[in-house]
Amino acid sequence: MSIKRILPLLVLVLAGLGALFSGPLTAQERPGPLRIIIDEGVIEPLPFAVPDFIAENAAAREYAARITRIVAADLQSTGLFREIPKEAFISSVTSFDAPVQFGDWKAINAQALITGAVSVSGRRLTVKFRLYDVFSGAPLGKGLQFAGTTASWRRMGHKVADAVYSRITGEGPYFDSRVAFIAESGPKNARVKRLAIMDYDGANVQYLTDGRALVLAPRFSPAGDRLLYTSYESGFPRVYLLDLGSLRRRALDEQPGTMSFAPRFSPDGRTVLLSLSVGGNTDIYSLDLATGNRRRLTSAPSIEIAPSFSPDGRQIVFTSDRSGSSQLYIMPAGGGEPRRISRGKGRYNTPVWSPRGDLIAFTKQNKGRFHIGVMQIDGTEERLLTSSFLDEGPTWAPNGRVIMFTRETAGAGGTSALYTVDTSGRNLRRVPMKGAASDPAWSPLLK
Amino acid sequence: MDFPQGMAFEEEALPRTGMIVSGALHLGVIALVLLSPFFRSRDSARTVATTEVSLISPEEFAALTVPEASRPEVPRAEIALPVPAPEAEAAPAISPERPEEPQSRPAAAPLTPPEPVAEEAPKVETPPAPPVAEVEDTPPEPPAPEALALAEPPSDTPTPREAPRVAPEPAAPAPPEALPDEVLREEVSQSPEAVEKKPETEPTAPPEASTEIVTEAEKPASSAPVSSPRPRARPARPAPPVAVAKAPPAEAAAPEKDGKDAMAAAIAAAVEDAASTPAPVASSPAAAAGPPLSRSEKEGFRLAVSRCWNVGALSAEALRVTVTIGFSLTRDGRPEPASLRMISASGGSDGAARQAYEAARRAILRCGARGYNLPIEKYEHWRDIEITFNPEKMRIK
Amino acid sequence: MKHLKKIVLLIAVLGVSACTDPGRFGPGAGGAGAGAGAGLGGAASDPRSPEYFRQTVGDRVLFAVDQSTLSPEARATLDGQAQWLLDNPEYSAIIEGHADERGTREYNLALGARRAAAVKEYLVARGVAGTRLSTVSYGKERPIAICSEESCYAQNRRAVTVITAGGGV
Repeated sequence: MSIKRILPLLVLVLAGLGALFSGPLTAQERPGPLRIIIDEGVIEPLPFAVPDFIAENAAAREYAARITRIVAADLQSTGLFREIPKEAFISSVTSFDAPVQFGDWKAINAQALITGAVSVSGRRLTVKFRLYDVFSGAPLGKGLQFAGTTASWRRMGHKVADAVYSRITGEGPYFDSRVAFIAESGPKNARVKRLAIMDYDGANVQYLTDGRALVLAPRFSPAGDRLLYTSYESGFPRVYLLDLGSLRRRALDEQPGTMSFAPRFSPDGRTVLLSLSVGGNTDIYSLDLATGNRRRLTSAPSIEIAPSFSPDGRQIVFTSDRSGSSQLYIMPAGGGEPRRISRGKGRYNTPVWSPRGDLIAFTKQNKGRFHIGVMQIDGTEERLLTSSFLDEGPTWAPNGRVIMFTRETAGAGGTSALYTVDTSGRNLRRVPMKGAASDPAWSPLLK
Repeated sequence: MDFPQGMAFEEEALPRTGMIVSGALHLGVIALVLLSPFFRSRDSARTVATTEVSLISPEEFAALTVPEASRPEVPRAEIALPVPAPEAEAAPAISPERPEEPQSRPAAAPLTPPEPVAEEAPKVETPPAPPVAEVEDTPPEPPAPEALALAEPPSDTPTPREAPRVAPEPAAPAPPEALPDEVLREEVSQSPEAVEKKPETEPTAPPEASTEIVTEAEKPASSAPVSSPRPRARPARPAPPVAVAKAPPAEAAAPEKDGKDAMAAAIAAAVEDAASTPAPVASSPAAAAGPPLSRSEKEGFRLAVSRCWNVGALSAEALRVTVTIGFSLTRDGRPEPASLRMISASGGSDGAARQAYEAARRAILRCGARGYNLPIEKYEHWRDIEITFNPEKMRIK
Repeated sequence: MKHLKKIVLLIAVLGVSACTDPGRFGPGAGGAGAGAGAGLGGAASDPRSPEYFRQTVGDRVLFAVDQSTLSPEARATLDGQAQWLLDNPEYSAIIEGHADERGTREYNLALGARRAAAVKEYLVARGVAGTRLSTVSYGKERPIAICSEESCYAQNRRAVTVITAGGGV
């Protein structure tokens, strides 16, 4: 076949292709829409403005200002939002019902605007708010109103912030929640530890034990009404169940010669998992709270500890050192052959199943450092979020987006503090509170 | 030892005239609440505290609401629960063709999603808009000082810097005299028309940005007492975003375990895109529409929108949604707010799609507030636009 | 002389029994292993005194990182402990297991339990009645040395045999 014979063909084909790709547009033809694919964006805090909520009567003045600050602080604390300082505001909001000057807010690049009003009548406090998408000049969602007592003003702020946060991000709310933890004081070799509870943001700390007995690692019941924790008040570590309404407590599973610790609730709140040490061997047991029936779930000579239920209650992730170092395993809720999920180097501990069920948070110890990390439930996509001398004990925010944990500093004067980090690894920050603290346990969302 | 007084909210509901009006709806909502296993489990147990949450009645809300064309649907239900039930009425309106389904995240439910078409109506008068470069304005908000306790030694490793902003193009920290600012004041005072569009030459320095999220664990080893090399790099880290952004589609398809479909879709779309976009070398028969956009013009536009596409405040679920938005531009390159609509969304629930759409909409409106820089002679080629926002790569940053 | 000895013993028993009160595990106590005072342990020169046990026999053994196996030195110490307990049947012992701070709280509790059990098993194998020995773990909660260096960690990875009154149940 000679070139000459192919040439016309080639020319034809090329011409055809040319027509295909750059066919001239006739005057009548209007081109279709320009199609663009964008797969690169930015990740930065979304700027928002929250002018002081309007006090609708004199009694509300103080509350209006305070609640506004709670809303701003909550949003800002997520790292997903950035408050635009008042000094930058062009227009002020003088009435809850006045039309919004979107232009003024666009000019300062406020992408979300929150307006609100507070009224107080006796002990009754009412907060209403609206959220606007400034650049589309329209409200986002409906206005909402919350009512409660004046003493609960902080919770009202948290609820407004929760509504805003959820509406913009699509994440579940979590600001209106509490954290149980261990308040610490005293020197390192004689720490005083007290069971305590506070708002998620470190406010309203209340102590639940007096510090005479060593207490460790509380856990919330799924309904948030009870706590499990470990106390040495008998001289030996035992698991206790504390009712937060009555503050009555009882020891679970008292057996001479054994130690019980590391308790966790099942998702239905009826069963407790705990670790029992008998003759130096620690295994995981489940305990029916109603009947007291105990069932052994693991029976290896190794240490089996730190169980955590999947949110559907069907599986348990836990730590075992059967391989020679502590690693994470998953087994059926009724016990059975465990499947190892942690594969990386180092030692893994305190696995906690996310409330969304998609991730497992854990403590990892490797090469002299401690990390809080997350992995898929099959152990893949491990990602370390933190790194320090000593980080441990992750607990999930009710929405599964934020993790709180203990960070301890080194040395003779080392102390513990609570930190939070986003599951993306961003926004590592210390929980603002006075005094040292450890072993946080995040409550479910309050009702 | 006691809880402070007043911690518990009363569980009473305010009597409201609106309740009568919307009684039927109430019953529906209550039935939903009762049937929902989520609430059943909560109801069964006592809590530390309860709260009363009351939505405003339609009448009240109407009274409260400013007379705006874009006013959202008034609430029609009063719920005495802090976590709203999955309400049928709150199904996202952004995607009429999608069937209504209960929200997976109840908290988002009581808020009526905006009607994307109607809502932009009122404020079309072009307000003083922020200059394009203002998108970059994010003062580095350091986390609590303690959080940064780990000193970051000067490093020659190519580890990305930790910065509060993640953007396709890394930016050095702003010099102190050019701190990122809320407002470029000298420009805000002017009318947007009077200002030349020169986003690249803004006096304000862009905020410090890294090309990906750097977790504490990924930072170079600090001067901590215990020596430690930095942890192993994450597996399957994508290629540097900048490179990827400019790479041909085939190369962009870095192996991703969970994102094959999305990536395949992206590739397909990209191929389609490439096919439908004639090369700029076209022999130019001077048609009315003018020659199509050149690759660089298209790229410039793409970059302009992507600068404003902030996915930082999106939920993990919304970050799985690929959303396509259609809209029209005016001759001066501004998006016509009423034209914005969601054409399609895939990869998540309607709720997640709504958040994804809203973030994308913000990008288009915000960066286009002063008009996109597009050649007017090719207006017919860019009057109608469809942008597909694929967050695949942003998810794993 | 014989009476004096009895009195001393009585005081010692009273003192130690105060320490076996459940309340002793309050803050700062940490068991005898954590500090100087095991109550009134009698004179260190008296071979039958708990103080002698602490100082001369040696009340603690140390472990390697994440281990509960007994070293030859540990065994030698425990041989002495076993002999002392056999010679002094009026005493019992609580064995406290401890860990250094380089582990998670709950895992270290289990590790301490393992160490305490290893000591108990050894003493039982040497003829001490199991009913005279109980175990408890403090994990990393009661370090005896508080620096964050291996020199301190090594001291904290320990099992301490704390002598208590009574000859066992």
